[in-house]
Amino acid sequence: MAEIKTMQEKDMNDVTSKQRVAKIIGKILIYLFLAVMAVIVLFPFYWMINSSLKSLDEYRLSMPTFWPRHILWTNYRDAFTTAQLGRLFLNTLYVGVVSTLLSLVITVLSAFAFARLEFKGKNVLFAGLLATMMIPGELFTITNYATVTTFGWINTYTVLIVPFLVSIFYIYLLRQNFLQIPDELYLAAKVDGTSDLKYLWTVMIPLSLPTLISITILKMMGAWNSYIWPQLVANDEAHRLITNGLRNAFKEASGDINYPVQMAAVALVSAPLFLVFVFLRKYIMKGVSRSGIKG
Amino acid sequence: MKMKKLAAMLLAGMMVIGLLAGCGSNTDPTSAPTKPVESQQTPESTAAPVKETNFKVPTGGYDGSAVTIRFYHNMSQDKQDLLKEYIAEFNKTYPNITVDFTSTVMGSYDDIRDQIKTEINVGSQPNIAYCYPDHVALYNMAKATVQLDGLIESTESDGAGGQLGLTDAQIADFIGGYYEAGASFGDGLMYTMPFSKSTEVLYYNKTFFDANGLSVPKTWDEMKALCEKIKQIDPNCIPLGYDSESNWFITMCEQYKSPYTSATGDHYLFNNETNRAFVKEFNDWYNKGYLTTQGLYGAYTSGLFTTDKDPHSYMSIGSSAGATYQRPAKGDDGKYPFEVGIAMIPQVDPAAPKVISQGPDVCIFLKDNPQEVIASWLLVKYLTTNSDFQAEFAASSGYVPVLKSAKENAFYAEKLANADGYDNIAFLSAKICLEQADAYYVSPAFNGSSTARDQVAALMKKCLVLTSDIDNQIEAAFEEAVEECEYSE
Amino acid sequence: MVESKQQWKAWVYLLPCLVLLAIFTVWPIINTVRMAFLDGYSGLKEAGGETFSIGVANFVKVIQYKRFLQCLKTTMLLCLITVPVSTFLALLISVALNSIKFLQKPLQTIFFLPYVTNSIAIGMVFAAMFNIVGSFYGTENEIVVTAGIVNNVIEFFGGTRVNWINYGSTYFANMTVMVIYIVWNALPFKILILLSGLQSINKQYYEAAKVDGSSKSRIFWRITVPLLGPMLAYVIITGFIGGFKEYTSIVGIFGASMGPAHDAKRLNTMVGFIYDALATNQQGRASAAAIILFGIILVVTLINLRVSNKKVHY
Repeated sequence: MAEIKTMQEKDMNDVTSKQRVAKIIGKILIYLFLAVMAVIVLFPFYWMINSSLKSLDEYRLSMPTFWPRHILWTNYRDAFTTAQLGRLFLNTLYVGVVSTLLSLVITVLSAFAFARLEFKGKNVLFAGLLATMMIPGELFTITNYATVTTFGWINTYTVLIVPFLVSIFYIYLLRQNFLQIPDELYLAAKVDGTSDLKYLWTVMIPLSLPTLISITILKMMGAWNSYIWPQLVANDEAHRLITNGLRNAFKEASGDINYPVQMAAVALVSAPLFLVFVFLRKYIMKGVSRSGIKG
Repeated sequence: MKMKKLAAMLLAGMMVIGLLAGCGSNTDPTSAPTKPVESQQTPESTAAPVKETNFKVPTGGYDGSAVTIRFYHNMSQDKQDLLKEYIAEFNKTYPNITVDFTSTVMGSYDDIRDQIKTEINVGSQPNIAYCYPDHVALYNMAKATVQLDGLIESTESDGAGGQLGLTDAQIADFIGGYYEAGASFGDGLMYTMPFSKSTEVLYYNKTFFDANGLSVPKTWDEMKALCEKIKQIDPNCIPLGYDSESNWFITMCEQYKSPYTSATGDHYLFNNETNRAFVKEFNDWYNKGYLTTQGLYGAYTSGLFTTDKDPHSYMSIGSSAGATYQRPAKGDDGKYPFEVGIAMIPQVDPAAPKVISQGPDVCIFLKDNPQEVIASWLLVKYLTTNSDFQAEFAASSGYVPVLKSAKENAFYAEKLANADGYDNIAFLSAKICLEQADAYYVSPAFNGSSTARDQVAALMKKCLVLTSDIDNQIEAAFEEAVEECEYSE
Repeated sequence: MVESKQQWKAWVYLLPCLVLLAIFTVWPIINTVRMAFLDGYSGLKEAGGETFSIGVANFVKVIQYKRFLQCLKTTMLLCLITVPVSTFLALLISVALNSIKFLQKPLQTIFFLPYVTNSIAIGMVFAAMFNIVGSFYGTENEIVVTAGIVNNVIEFFGGTRVNWINYGSTYFANMTVMVIYIVWNALPFKILILLSGLQSINKQYYEAAKVDGSSKSRIFWRITVPLLGPMLAYVIITGFIGGFKEYTSIVGIFGASMGPAHDAKRLNTMVGFIYDALATNQQGRASAAAIILFGIILVVTLINLRVSNKKVHY
């Protein structure tokens, strides 16, 4: 009997230690997986920095070097001086911030209407909006160019901000989020006599903060990366945005682009964005922890 | 349930769009005829001694009125600074002409084209633009650029005591091939003026050539023999790198006097026996390891030429404006590892050499106010006929001036005199270009000429690497290229 | 009474959105349809005073293109492979990120980092990773200057070099590169969405499941995935719509020729076709192709919604 008991105990000890080992191995695998993916994800970032420190001659080598032979910090100085980065940066920041704010307002209002209010033709309208996402935007360019010219918006901030304020993507995303907030909260607020706007502001927006922050980031990135439209409609010195400025500023006498200096400039303008991002990541966590009711 | 609802929603959405579609196409027949139709020139009028053009110089020429003209280009900052100096000079004569040349600076020639293409749709195009012949062919679909003949021949006043048009001496000063390129649009009329130019040249490793007693090839036959010899000296090398497949094909057509394209009638004439034969010949070269191109090599062939590691190339055919890229980097001792020599590219017939003419021209756009067009012309004329500007612009850019007299500019002459295969390689390149002034050609420009360029480049790459069933494959590739060109019409 | 008040209010909330859409989206769509049904329409020709008759010639021309089916095939393949792969990978990364404590925050930042890496840099890196520099492959003269980072890694582990994107490469190799690139590109956005979704799932569900003694995979499929439903649906639907518009990524790797050197346009897609038509000023043809593409996307989205509505609990 005693023997059997100890056998059992032994088995149980084995099981728990096995479980523990499995758990540790599992954790190691998770970290390994994340580490491998992180390296893959980071590679272009590393390459950007690597390229930004090379001479143009080295950059053009058939066999790329993984670390610059001679580190050229002067690329960063050149980037700052030749491209008038300050002005480009302020323009982009202004366009990014204003368009993000306005876009958030429009998105929140529309998503609220689609998620909470009942009106005739709601579903048809929403489907229609979804359908517009499916048309390649390139086809819109020429018609929109004609429109903004008629409005006299060429070379203004308006033309960089207004045409892209509405994004069905964002409305869809936020509507999905709003739909998850239980109807009971809304009805209770109605009973309390809370106005729609106040309810939106005090309940729905805090609960959807992560989504709103995601939208903010996407929108800001959009301002940072937009190229074709700004090139077309506002490419004067006063309104030029960062990508357009970067594309054109570093030309050598022969007409070739000095890519290392361009990379240095790209790294420079990415830096503030990176900091903002690190800051916002904490904010995402906060926003999430505040939203107690979900699912 | 929900699924059905959503499906219904989407269908409804589609119907809404369909409905809108109906409206769109219905409204059209009424709106289309209201568009003003520009008066077409009658073909008979070309019989008149003075060419009939779409811009008629008003009596009195430039009347001194105040106009602002916009100039689109993609000059780098140093060249803009130079331009600014000369525009200030221009404004001493024409204080009422304001030139806006800084508000729209583009990245590439194609960017300029795309911008103007869109602007033409709403009529907001600039007054003057950097252009390539293909671009002008495009703008002319909308009949947007000025036929310059009327301005060139005009004896009206230029508003500063001279005549508006070009004098015979001025025309004679242009390097012939560059000037004539302005009339390569099939109707014999001038649409562009040359601004700054480049061509293709043969860069060679002079140190290696001297050490092995090799001489620079003047013909393709000599080139073949030379490649064979170099391959014997250094078996692990690619003797020749050619950067641009399309230039290569078009230049070979020109050298063989074999049809490539035509601006009028049947456009795509390049599928012929001569062309198939030279492509087959070069396929043989490629299979023997004699040469490579940028597209096949997977990187700039200049990198292969300048590298300090094996494998090497010892010759490189590329743009004359990119000479500094064909120079190796200085070693740790501060010296260049080898000297670069520059020569004309090999020819089929050295007695009648042909090299491609590249680099920007300028065109002028039609405007309601004829004084704007005249003011634009005055600036274009000033910049293209001023040999000091041409010389200094060339000196700062590596491009070649379009005027013969630019060589006499003291500053430029000194630079040319000091040209060498080391620090002053850009001027060596310019010098070689100026020496072959009679050899320049341009291919016809029409709507579709840029497609043809793309197609022959693809064709060249495809055919060079063939290893079996070569004749049939080449034939098929040519047929496909023509087919693709015709489809895009 | 309340009903009509809500009606009125809803339209007020929607007003800014609808006005902007009418001007910058609906009007261009109408114009697109107009251009599609004008035979041989070209904006430049119209500006030059030419008129066009109404018809379906543009549609006929698009369908007649001998590579049309190939464009369609490449587009479809890219979609059908990249969307599931990138979604699954993003889900795995998000769940893994959500399950760890040590280094969680720095790792999160790393996975969002591609957002602040400019697209110019990314395109250049990927080309360098797969590009073989050299010539004369498959002949006795073969010369390889550099085989690319990916091949270096393969050779390091004892494998043989693969010709990914250069001339002589296979369609399969080309597509593999495109899938890797597109998945890579799509990851950060999906991780962002899924991770913020995961973190808003109430911990009580997991605790309840643990008490029940459910296995990890069971928890994953029975709790995580369903609760992430809306986010997953969003990521998949937008992924498909984006996948059908694939174009710039191919240009990033293969350049404007949209294929390896010996077979240009091999990897052309529907949007690539539209760009080609726009580049040669065939706006009518481009519009017709866009409408065809729109029809295809619509069908696929309907199917997606049908599937996700069966699975997703709102």
